[in-house]
Amino acid sequence: MPAGYARVDNARILVVDDDREIAMAIEKLLAREGYEVIKAYDGMQALEALAGNQVHLILLDIMMPKLDGLSATMKIRESRNIPIIIISAKSEDSDKILGLSMGADDYVTKPFNPQELVARVKSQLRRYMHLGDIANGPKSASVLRTGGLCLDTEAKQLTVDGEPVKLTAKEYKILELLMSNPGVVFSAEQIYEAVWKEVPYSVENTVMVHIRRIREKIEINPKEPKYLKVVWGIGYKIEKI
Amino acid sequence: MVTRLRRFSTDPVAKTIAFILTVLILTGLAELFLYICFRNLDPQCIPVDGYFDSTEFVDLMGKAAAEASDALFSDELPGNVPYYYYISDGNKELTNVENPDKSFFEQFEPAFCALENGQWHLKSKSSFPYSSRYTFKLSVSEVLKKSNTIYIAYPKEYIKSLEQEWNQDRTVVIRLVTVAAAGAALAVILAIYLAAVTGRRPEDMELHPGRTDSVYSDILIAVLCFLALAWYLLYLAAYDLGANDTGTLTASHKLTLIVFGAITLPAAALCEAILLALIRKIKAGTLIKHSLIYKFLYRIYDYAVSLFDGRAFSKYPLTRSLFYRQLIFIILSFVFVFLTFVFMLAESLAVIIPPVLEAIIIYWYIKGNNRTYMDINRGFNESLEEQMKSERMKVALITNVSHDLKTPLTSIVSYIDLLSKEEGLPEPARDYVRILGEKAGRLSNMVSDLFDLAKSTSGNMPVDTEKLDLRKLIEQTLADMNDRIENSGLSFRVKLPEKSMQIYADGKKLYRVFQNVIDNALKYSLQGTRVYISLEETEGMAVATVKNTAGYEMDFTAEEILQRFTRGDKSRTSEGSGLGLSIAESFTRLCGGRFRVDIDGDLFKVTVSFNLAQQ
Repeated sequence: MPAGYARVDNARILVVDDDREIAMAIEKLLAREGYEVIKAYDGMQALEALAGNQVHLILLDIMMPKLDGLSATMKIRESRNIPIIIISAKSEDSDKILGLSMGADDYVTKPFNPQELVARVKSQLRRYMHLGDIANGPKSASVLRTGGLCLDTEAKQLTVDGEPVKLTAKEYKILELLMSNPGVVFSAEQIYEAVWKEVPYSVENTVMVHIRRIREKIEINPKEPKYLKVVWGIGYKIEKI
Repeated sequence: MVTRLRRFSTDPVAKTIAFILTVLILTGLAELFLYICFRNLDPQCIPVDGYFDSTEFVDLMGKAAAEASDALFSDELPGNVPYYYYISDGNKELTNVENPDKSFFEQFEPAFCALENGQWHLKSKSSFPYSSRYTFKLSVSEVLKKSNTIYIAYPKEYIKSLEQEWNQDRTVVIRLVTVAAAGAALAVILAIYLAAVTGRRPEDMELHPGRTDSVYSDILIAVLCFLALAWYLLYLAAYDLGANDTGTLTASHKLTLIVFGAITLPAAALCEAILLALIRKIKAGTLIKHSLIYKFLYRIYDYAVSLFDGRAFSKYPLTRSLFYRQLIFIILSFVFVFLTFVFMLAESLAVIIPPVLEAIIIYWYIKGNNRTYMDINRGFNESLEEQMKSERMKVALITNVSHDLKTPLTSIVSYIDLLSKEEGLPEPARDYVRILGEKAGRLSNMVSDLFDLAKSTSGNMPVDTEKLDLRKLIEQTLADMNDRIENSGLSFRVKLPEKSMQIYADGKKLYRVFQNVIDNALKYSLQGTRVYISLEETEGMAVATVKNTAGYEMDFTAEEILQRFTRGDKSRTSEGSGLGLSIAESFTRLCGGRFRVDIDGDLFKVTVSFNLAQQ
């Protein structure tokens, strides 16, 4: 483990929200998981807190006085690459895309599920902490990467944010097909033909069931998948991240 | 008393009787006149005292005198004349009496006339009441020579019979004229009565227009004039047909009278009805206003006025200046062209002045128009901007309210979670926290649904349309909801076509549509029943239907269920926001499809249809 990086369990997290009750609630939620929390109530305070403290992850609201979350994200990204999770009441797809393109790593909408928030924080921290491992790991063409997903096609091993995940043979093959072509939409027939090697005949349900199982293994919230997406009326794809 | 009289006088029965009576009297009068003509009866005889003062008598004598005057030159008289005569020109004498003495003739006084000393005498007067028919023959100077002498007298028996006949006729005429006068008087009274009460009713003081009053006044008047003219021509024709001198009625006369009466009766009725309608209009003051000519003229007048008082341009204020400018331009151009011709004909050098002025006018016209077009463009842009602004404000409002609701909700959800993890809570408190957690979750679902709906119905939701397979989408949705379907205790009968159904829609939204519709079926179906899902092609449309049997009585209409916040069960106890079908409908429309709910007894049916994409 590289020097200067704290262990996942006692990482320091900066919570930024102009609503003090929410900031406090998040502090308690995270403290319960053993994290150290620093609070800030606007973008300027967040930048100050960041300057004076070693921080491993930032939870950032968008609509704040003085300096809003998006501008703060851009400012932070100028010098730091620590994980930033945006927590916002803005729930439009366009807002999410904007937030992520500004440099945020994840986007959680209010009102959030506390357990999901904690899971996302853990996931981001793991990825951040293990980044060194991953970066130093085998860089061969046999490793497929998408965001926190890492599929080693030689070892036939999938890790999500560094955590190994067990897949069945079919699930593995589906994921391999999709991850080899990130952003490409495959129909159920194409997936079936490639994975089952049989003539596809009314296979939507079969494929969909597998997709759902994979999602439950790799997504924090399977209902709002980040990686494995259904393109309704067309097929399935792995998001290109 | 007055009111009773009024009630009686305005009674429809009284009015109808008066109307019929008037028509009958008028027809009778017309018949009477024709009859008098046919009988050769002369009403002029009424003021005459006796036969010897009548024109008939004078005519009789005059005719005889004229015949006698002729005899002065022809020397002969028609053989068999009914009168005695003595004609002498001083030399010759003609007579049919044995003793042509003046005293013989004088005994027949007053049926006696004489020419003596160049002077006619009748009834011992020295003047002769010439009838125009005989004036020429009696008054030529050849006849009035002093040497000429004529005595004429009618035998007493002959005159007596004529006098009797005349007297009989006079009696008849007097009787007829009396009847006619009485009838006319009655008709006038009835007409005045009808004119007074027409349009009035016993129950109120209002003026009630009749059925014919909706016809324009000028049309009524035209019909009236036409009828009157036609009737008058008919009367003249009948008069000519029956004109004779005999004074007796033949069979053809009687037939003419009957036909004439049969035509006069309805014509009189129609005329009277029209007249009454016109009178009602006069009473209502609409005689002139309710006429085609007035309407036509008023329309023209109104349009002309509207051009100048600004009404014509009240909706298009920007084109007003265009109109005036156009008007001035056209008039001035016309004047200049005219002046050019005048100067050309006069071969005057001033011929160049109008074209120069015209050029100036054209410049002014184009410049003015350009300014107006600029104004129009500016106004258009302003209104567009205004619209955009209000559109942006709507979006901002939804976003702000959304933020204001979600922020406290976030605190509630977070603290409930913290509370539930708190150790040492008593068992009831743990229960309460669980309930709070459930309700907070539902609340956040509702808020999210509400904003989806608000956005989609206000048209502020981006739609990402792409070509997709509706059959595949339904299969995916069903597979996605597989766990819930299997645990529902309902059996799903899915009938999808073999081939794909390509449509243009937003896949994510359409997934929400079918998710919500199937969700609705899962929530509200009767336990153990079947849910039918089918997709088929009908007339170039992809039609998907979801049918289920409701587990409760659906006492609402298809429209009500789609209205915001209407929920199937009015008690509103079960989970869900009640917006599912509303969102489904709104999203379907957003994608360009049609969403329809049918309720038939316990059968609940949702139909979603889309136009198939062109292959």
